[in-house]
Amino acid sequence: MELLITALIIAAILFGIGLYGALSQTNLVMIMMGIELMLGAAMVNLVAFWRYLHPEAFSIQMFVLVAMTVMALEGAVGFAIATQRFRTSGSVEMEESAELKG
Amino acid sequence: MISIQLILLIIFGLVAIWFGWRVFMTSSMVRSALSLLGSMVAIGALFLVMEAEFLGVLQIMMMGTEMSIMAVFMMMYMMDPGGLGNMDMSHQKNLSIAAGVAVTVLITGAVLFADWGTIVTQVPSPHEQNRLLGMEILKRSMMIFETAGVTILTGMIASIAVALSIKSSREK
Repeated sequence: MELLITALIIAAILFGIGLYGALSQTNLVMIMMGIELMLGAAMVNLVAFWRYLHPEAFSIQMFVLVAMTVMALEGAVGFAIATQRFRTSGSVEMEESAELKG
Repeated sequence: MISIQLILLIIFGLVAIWFGWRVFMTSSMVRSALSLLGSMVAIGALFLVMEAEFLGVLQIMMMGTEMSIMAVFMMMYMMDPGGLGNMDMSHQKNLSIAAGVAVTVLITGAVLFADWGTIVTQVPSPHEQNRLLGMEILKRSMMIFETAGVTILTGMIASIAVALSIKSSREK
């Protein structure tokens, strides 16, 4: 039991740090780093559930692969937005993006 | 009884947390990207400790590449990638700390007070795991796997479309 609880608590702390980063940073790339940490924490949870509760259910490992896909896509689309933002305003600081409000 | 698995879980968990914390504690963007790389590799090591060998190796290889690219983008887009000017790039710090701590405490509370049932000690061997994951992908989860593939393709096209430089007809 302590193995599962340890893994889940590690994931909870990583998620908290990621949330802090995503909320506190003003730079788009740093915000993305916070989101990556949160997704990493979610994957630790999934692997812990697979390992300690249902090692016969490989749909959980499949779910981890989907989470990795989401991480890669988040990076690709985020960097594309950062590239376009840098071209138009010369910065990826989100506090300078107030005009996006419309 | 403290097992080797528990000790390794705690060690790699602390490494992942420490590097995760360092990401937002340094003013050097390159160090941030490398710290995130360290955290992701430690998460991959956690997968290996939890006997998910395929996912562990995949995580380390994928995240190693992704974070290296992230470090390059950091250098491209930042005014001060080395953090020599000590510029602060954060806002609403107290609110963010409160949100992070509150979520961590809530999840930890849920983890500690939930009834998790029976813990399984035996897992399939690595080669059996790979075979079963392959069967899962090619049978029951095939549509999900193919959807993930198409989503990656869509993401690639969308990223290129977004990143293209837009020129007005006059500039042409």
